[in-house]
Amino acid sequence: MTPVLSVERLSVRFRMRDGVSVRAVSDASFDLAAGECLALVGESGCGKSVLASALLGLLPENAETAGSAHLGDTDLLAADERTLARRIRGRRVGLVPQSPAAHLTPVRTVRSQLAETISQLTRAGRRGPQLATAVAAAADRAAFPLDHLDRYPHELSGGLAQRAATALALVGDAPLLLADEPTTGLDRDLVERTVDELRRHIGDDRALLLITHDLAAAERIADRVAVMYASRIVELADADAFFGSPGPRHPYARGLLNALPDREFAPIPGMPPELTTLPDGCAFAARCARADDTCAWVPGLLDGVACHHPETAGAEVTRA
Amino acid sequence: MLELLSVTAGYDRRAPVLSDVTLTVEPGAAVGLLGPSGCGKSTLARVAALLHEPYAGRVVIDGEPARGWRHRAPRAQRTAFGVVFQQPRLSADPRLSLADLIAEPLRAGRLEHTARVRELADAVGLGGDLLGRRPHEVSDGQLQRACLARALTLRPRWLICDEMTAMLDASTTAALVGVVEEYRRETGAGLLAVGHDRVLLERWCGRTVEWGERGPADDA
Amino acid sequence: MADQNLDWRTRGARRRSTRTWRVRSSAAIVALVVLAVLLVPPLTNLDQQAVDLTAKLQPPSWAHPFGTDDVGRDLLLRCVYGLRVSLLVGVVAAVVATVIGTAVGALSGALGGWADRAVMRVVDTFSSVPHLLLGIFVVAMFRPGVWPVVVSVGLTHWLSTARIVRAEVLSLRSRPYVDAAISGGASRRRVTVRHLLPGVLPQAALAAVLMVPHAIWHESALSFLGLGLPAHQASLGTLVQSARGSLLAGDWWPTLFPGLFIIVPTLAVAGLGGAWRERLDPRRRSELTL
Repeated sequence: MTPVLSVERLSVRFRMRDGVSVRAVSDASFDLAAGECLALVGESGCGKSVLASALLGLLPENAETAGSAHLGDTDLLAADERTLARRIRGRRVGLVPQSPAAHLTPVRTVRSQLAETISQLTRAGRRGPQLATAVAAAADRAAFPLDHLDRYPHELSGGLAQRAATALALVGDAPLLLADEPTTGLDRDLVERTVDELRRHIGDDRALLLITHDLAAAERIADRVAVMYASRIVELADADAFFGSPGPRHPYARGLLNALPDREFAPIPGMPPELTTLPDGCAFAARCARADDTCAWVPGLLDGVACHHPETAGAEVTRA
Repeated sequence: MLELLSVTAGYDRRAPVLSDVTLTVEPGAAVGLLGPSGCGKSTLARVAALLHEPYAGRVVIDGEPARGWRHRAPRAQRTAFGVVFQQPRLSADPRLSLADLIAEPLRAGRLEHTARVRELADAVGLGGDLLGRRPHEVSDGQLQRACLARALTLRPRWLICDEMTAMLDASTTAALVGVVEEYRRETGAGLLAVGHDRVLLERWCGRTVEWGERGPADDA
Repeated sequence: MADQNLDWRTRGARRRSTRTWRVRSSAAIVALVVLAVLLVPPLTNLDQQAVDLTAKLQPPSWAHPFGTDDVGRDLLLRCVYGLRVSLLVGVVAAVVATVIGTAVGALSGALGGWADRAVMRVVDTFSSVPHLLLGIFVVAMFRPGVWPVVVSVGLTHWLSTARIVRAEVLSLRSRPYVDAAISGGASRRRVTVRHLLPGVLPQAALAAVLMVPHAIWHESALSFLGLGLPAHQASLGTLVQSARGSLLAGDWWPTLFPGLFIIVPTLAVAGLGGAWRERLDPRRRSELTL
């Protein structure tokens, strides 16, 4: 089956005013199939949100991209603004935003925003009973209570604002949903409800790219996990294997998981390198207990892990 | 002992965010206050740090009642608290370098700062040229490390961490909690950590208090 | 790094180039204007007041690119001298207005409470009276001249700056970093001087720049009404004013060129100010951070 989204050696760099260039994404490759949820995890500043912006064509002007990201026949990186605006955003890629409160227009009710989006993206017409039905259906789909439709965004709780934003994202029936840190600032119950709802929406025929630093949220709904570190995807693994047994194979991913409060709660020593001065070799080597001379070369992503000395499955079995 | 007694506070007198809330933190203890977003726990944290004047109720710090709020609180009472907020971007003056940010409380009291800044930067793991940079040139995690260092600058007896790690990844979270705990081991400072992550607060704090219908259900 | 063997693409290049073009042409015009008003009078010994009745009301020609007025004075030279006066009035008045506005706005925002409410009521009251009317009232109290006009413009234009600065101070005051400073033992004065004022100064400076065109227009309006500068002193307003008669006779150049001298430099200043505002916009700044 052909994947919904196929990202091939995607790189993004920013040209800064002083001639410095920032490598935000290096050589990212992954596929995303219908019915699948891929969680892209990593700490803030690792480049994961830049990757999302690149897929939506929303990079700032000083950004340069390389590689490709095919959504069907369209290369999202090569498409012009007109194509992106008229045919891609909302219609073929739905965005579930980071802060719904900022994403919704503060001076208009949820109903009017849904109605506008529906009349833009579908054939439900501009007014009349048909549109009203469509609005109700769209709200219902995201479990947004119908009696709150006439409220303004500031009158909604965080959870309801998130549902309103999700309802907007779902209107266009886009085959790809892109959720950029959809749970930041929400409390645990709400995080779980939000990601569960996202999971439910993708069903069998859509794909979800969940960008988050919340490993618990990723564990809850992801089929696969991509771990990003200093602009590179360092591990791409099955979620069950990653969070359960045999566990992560890249030392960084392993450290990140072990830092969780319900595991060892121990930080990885040191801090990630600057994206302006990435080392020539493996970017994690400076913090890695396993590093040796071979780490002076950047490891490619082989068999789901970009490391010269990955944890082997066998070692883990004996430990467990 | 940090005592919040029958506190009623908010941003509109007719509809206070919290009413008649009582919470105590024993000397040297770490109390986690757990509640959903928007319940008023951050307001309570601001009241505790003398940053928000309540409509009613009292705050007693180590036996001494709070004598005012914000600028009206005596300097010694204000600086008994180190506060760390949720969003490092909003908590740092965008014009100050990280070193200036950490040194600011010492400068405000006209105290010598070079050695202390060095020491704090080491403690929170800010090395190299990071100290010379300004907030927009560092990541959220790095900036929050600086904000934590600033909170520790005057060696406060109480730490108030309001969702300190909500924006951070697991490793940075563990690192910052480690810094707070190390400081508490050295100085015996007390902690009020506000958050919504039960797993984290239960791992971090000796006692966690749940925010119920009417406020924290404190059984201590 | 292996950047070289990748095929890098950019987006939005065209949008950037139109903006750079706008900024560059604005900067060029402003530079030209400043050079002209600074250098032409001392470097040339041409007399702008030189009357030549044999060459009155000549249309533009090589000898007089902008033509001559009804007593044969060269209009290009008159325009440059007029611009010199207008610009001086505009800049000084804008500075006066900004200083008053920033002081009032910052004080009002930093104090808060009833002091803030009282000050803002005063600002509202003044704002409800038309600028020009208030300005006329001020100039009417003095003999015509440059300084009454400066005072008039300064006293009527600080209101918007005060509003902008106050709003900015109020928004900064509720930032967690101000909370952190208070908790760190900073006095009220220290918070204002070290955290609040530096935060509003870029906004205030921008307001000052955008005020310059406004002040020039205001001066022109006063002079056109015969209340600003005395008629013999060339300013853009007096030039347009004295050209009214000849315009009715079908001579377009004495009105057109001073008019363009009012419009083009003000547009250029506004263009530069706009570009600066875009750079101050936190959203654009955040694009550069990761």
